Amino acid sequence: MTTAGASGMKKYVAVYVALLVITALQFVIGYQNAEGSQLVVRFATFAVIETILVLLFFMNLGTETPGFIKFFVYFMAFVLATINYGWTDSFRLLLFRLTGYMPS
Amino acid sequence: MSEAHLTMGAHSAPPMEARPFVMPSKKFAMWLFIMSDVMTFAACMVAYGFLRNATPEWPRPFHSVTSVGVMTLIMLTSSLTMLMALGAAKVTDKARAFRWMMFTAAGGVLFTLLHIRDWMGMMDQGVSLLKNPWGPAAFGAAFYSITGFSLAHISIGTIALIVVAIRYQGGRYNADDVELFNIFWQFIGLVWLFIVPLVYLMNLAR
Repeated sequence: MTTAGASGMKKYVAVYVALLVITALQFVIGYQNAEGSQLVVRFATFAVIETILVLLFFMNLGTETPGFIKFFVYFMAFVLATINYGWTDSFRLLLFRLTGYMPS
Repeated sequence: MSEAHLTMGAHSAPPMEARPFVMPSKKFAMWLFIMSDVMTFAACMVAYGFLRNATPEWPRPFHSVTSVGVMTLIMLTSSLTMLMALGAAKVTDKARAFRWMMFTAAGGVLFTLLHIRDWMGMMDQGVSLLKNPWGPAAFGAAFYSITGFSLAHISIGTIALIVVAIRYQGGRYNADDVELFNIFWQFIGLVWLFIVPLVYLMNLAR
């Protein structure tokens, strides 16, 4: 293997170890008796870090042109932000179920 | 049309717009597929989050997630072996690339078997699409749809990987095709890293 290839593999192994550590932390957090909203924030933070690592190093998005990276990031950010907009409505449904209120 | 006209036409044609993303068409198609798949998975996860949040008595049936931990380790390791295959393919070491792809496929098969075993365990407890022993009927449908969609990607992806490996070894595919498959495999590995906390870790029995 060439020197460049060997250093590339070392980078991949380092990212792999980082992903293992982050995932292990998620399992540890899962077993703690944290409140639901705290769990969501912690898991979401770890998931974002994992996504960045995988996209940049494993899927090699970082080696693409700046134009494509911008297109990908902006498009995905917009789609994911708008798709999550609907989720917030579940609080309304939860309130109805907890209070027994049913709008006519 | 005469040859002279064709030549003149070619010369008088306006210059083509520069390619904005400067990547092979197949790779661009794969990225577009990934983007559409992100939307589908995101819709599944948002629907799951909606149901879970809106249901006060959502079941927490998972007493142990050891099996899920092993599955996650297998998935992450197969991501690394896929990268090893790509590295070998880029230096045209066909034998090594094929071997690493087969290791990755073995990971995919093992993951699929463990996932099916996990499902069988849930079915034994009486969880189906329409009912479960703990209450809200939506739990089973949400659980099976989100994990099933991921399982479908991984199991079909494993078959596709074996095809890519055989064709690569036979000379029909090259390192670019291995790279395309690597993007897909890394993506489904990443999706699993979202499913684990959302479906399993947030529903551990307390």
